[in-house]
Amino acid sequence: MILAATMSLEGFTGDREIARLRKGDPDAITDLIGRYQHRLYRFLVRMVGDPATAEDLFQQTWIRLMEKIGSYDARRNFEAWLFAIARNLAIDHLRRRRGISLDEPDDSGRAPVERLEAAGQDVLTQLLDFERGALLAAAIGELPAIHREVLTLRFEEDMKLEQIAEVAGVPLSTVKSRLHRALESLRTRIEALGKGLYERT
Amino acid sequence: MNEHESVRAMLPLGAAGLLDPDEVRRVEEHARTCELCRSDLETWSVYAQGLRKLPQPSAPAGLMERTRARIIQEHAVAAGRRRHAWLLGALAAFGWTSSLAFWVVARALTGGVFTVMGVNWVNGLAWSLGSTVVAWTTAAAAAMMLGRGREMRRFL
Repeated sequence: MILAATMSLEGFTGDREIARLRKGDPDAITDLIGRYQHRLYRFLVRMVGDPATAEDLFQQTWIRLMEKIGSYDARRNFEAWLFAIARNLAIDHLRRRRGISLDEPDDSGRAPVERLEAAGQDVLTQLLDFERGALLAAAIGELPAIHREVLTLRFEEDMKLEQIAEVAGVPLSTVKSRLHRALESLRTRIEALGKGLYERT
Repeated sequence: MNEHESVRAMLPLGAAGLLDPDEVRRVEEHARTCELCRSDLETWSVYAQGLRKLPQPSAPAGLMERTRARIIQEHAVAAGRRRHAWLLGALAAFGWTSSLAFWVVARALTGGVFTVMGVNWVNGLAWSLGSTVVAWTTAAAAAMMLGRGREMRRFL
């Protein structure tokens, strides 16, 4: 599904919509929001972890886009530019908020493992049923934002290395090393979480 | 770092599809003879597969309409801000112009001398000081009124 969505975007540069936006055509922004709403919202949910905050940042992203549309350089990749705006807003939001780690309770006062159990799911089955991915998503949510970012952009958005570098505003080598560390860190967490869950059940 | 260690370090990026063709060949050749790396490669593939099939949070219903409404609202606020800035600029220009024009008229009518409390108010220095005080007081009052207006809108 992700691949299909990506393929449908191939060749889309946003040039026509940008030109329409600059001319003040209000329907142009509707077309762009419609085209990107699911991917951009999903990216923001992965970044901030909270649907309500993700929606607020989603709206702010489009407002910021409207403000900056006059200075947009058409040679840039539109998609990377849009995701970079969203990414910067999410990072600003996260900087204002205290981060949580795997062992630290969140706002609900429960640790991630307890949250999974409280959801009434068979955690061992969930651990083994990798395809459902709920455990994986929970573990990703505990990673640092710069790791969550590269994982979601690479695996869910299927972005190329160059695009991820443009969104994150870092060199290619940094993207590679972040992705490497993110995967190692994710695997360590999953393995640690799996062991803990096994003992609990 | 020997070949085994360097290939092992490449495996996560291999799962992410970020190795160049030479590196892919190197990994494949090594994995053919190394049981540990072959098994590790399979594990990383499972992770990559899982990451591509994560549960997808779908955009909530009405997101597009709410976003569009907020853009329109923000646009109206920004337009109001620009209007206020323009209005303040126009008022300031009007204030200074009328002050200058009035000074010329006052001098012509009084013959250049209009003394109150020992100060000649149509003297250039006294007039410009008096005009400056009046202009700044008016600007401060206008800014306070606009600020209160913004606070009221935010509250509403």
